[in-house]
Amino acid sequence: MNSLSELHLDALAEVFSIGAGRAALSLSEIVGDEVRISVPSVQLINAEDINAATLSLNSGRFGAVNQHFSGPFNAEAVLLFTEEQALKIVSDMMGSQMAPEELAEFEHEAMCELGNIILNACLSAMADILSFTLESSLPHYTVASADEILYKLRQDSNQPYVMVLHIDLAIEKRHTAGNLVFLLSSASLTNLVSHVDQFLGKLS
Amino acid sequence: MPVDNSAKKILIVDDSKVSRMLIRSHIMAQRPDWITSEAACGEDAIAMVDVEQPDFCTMDINMPGIPGTDAAEQILAKHPSIKIVIFSANIQETHQERARSLGTILVSKPVTEKSITLALDYFAKA
Repeated sequence: MNSLSELHLDALAEVFSIGAGRAALSLSEIVGDEVRISVPSVQLINAEDINAATLSLNSGRFGAVNQHFSGPFNAEAVLLFTEEQALKIVSDMMGSQMAPEELAEFEHEAMCELGNIILNACLSAMADILSFTLESSLPHYTVASADEILYKLRQDSNQPYVMVLHIDLAIEKRHTAGNLVFLLSSASLTNLVSHVDQFLGKLS
Repeated sequence: MPVDNSAKKILIVDDSKVSRMLIRSHIMAQRPDWITSEAACGEDAIAMVDVEQPDFCTMDINMPGIPGTDAAEQILAKHPSIKIVIFSANIQETHQERARSLGTILVSKPVTEKSITLALDYFAKA
């Protein structure tokens, strides 16, 4: 198993788009304004081939929310934004009256909450549509350089597959872009594909 | 209310092939005589409506090109008798309000037997 068909990717993009819609609804209730989240593309790549361009990582520091999901397949999920974008999102979530030094204080908590909402919305949409149950760990937020993030993504030989979702997020008309990355073992990818095949089989 | 079982034409608009398959499959299960056609974006849908002249339409919002709500508005301006249901995972109040203002309804994704029934009930009242 080293690739997904166009129909598999279409099914996963639709599942994640539904998840993004659920996350947008939750976030709009927090910020009290319209929130748009879209998932324009889903890619599957080998972890060893992942690079800065794949994740649009340039220089600077990045905020990463990690969460582990387990069930019929296990996945390490990482939501990535530049730290500058992360702080803007925190500002939108916490209210614009807050001073910059106060924002940093809430960065950890607010980014964990954002990650928890987006990751769980995407994974719960997947679980509902593909008919299985997933459990999640608590979210964990770190700030790291692009090199540190890439090293971490490539280092686990037990999880050789990386599913990358590009995410566009707009809160109060302000656009930010990030990535949602799932690290999958070979067995987990096979199980995920098997569930997508079962779902597609019901449609034909 | 009596249900009109005569063959109707429905246009399914969604950029996801899987989503179109899912909608078609659920509709066929409940209305096997209906004739379906499909479009993958709002612009294609607007062009197809002139040719296919469907009775009903399901419309996604987030698609490449113009949003589905804008496509629905253009279709209804030219063909006010078509009944449109907007299918979207984005069910925030702004989208629901926009759907209502167009004289359509917004039904939340994922597409299930229940959500298709909501759409078919809306079409039946047309």
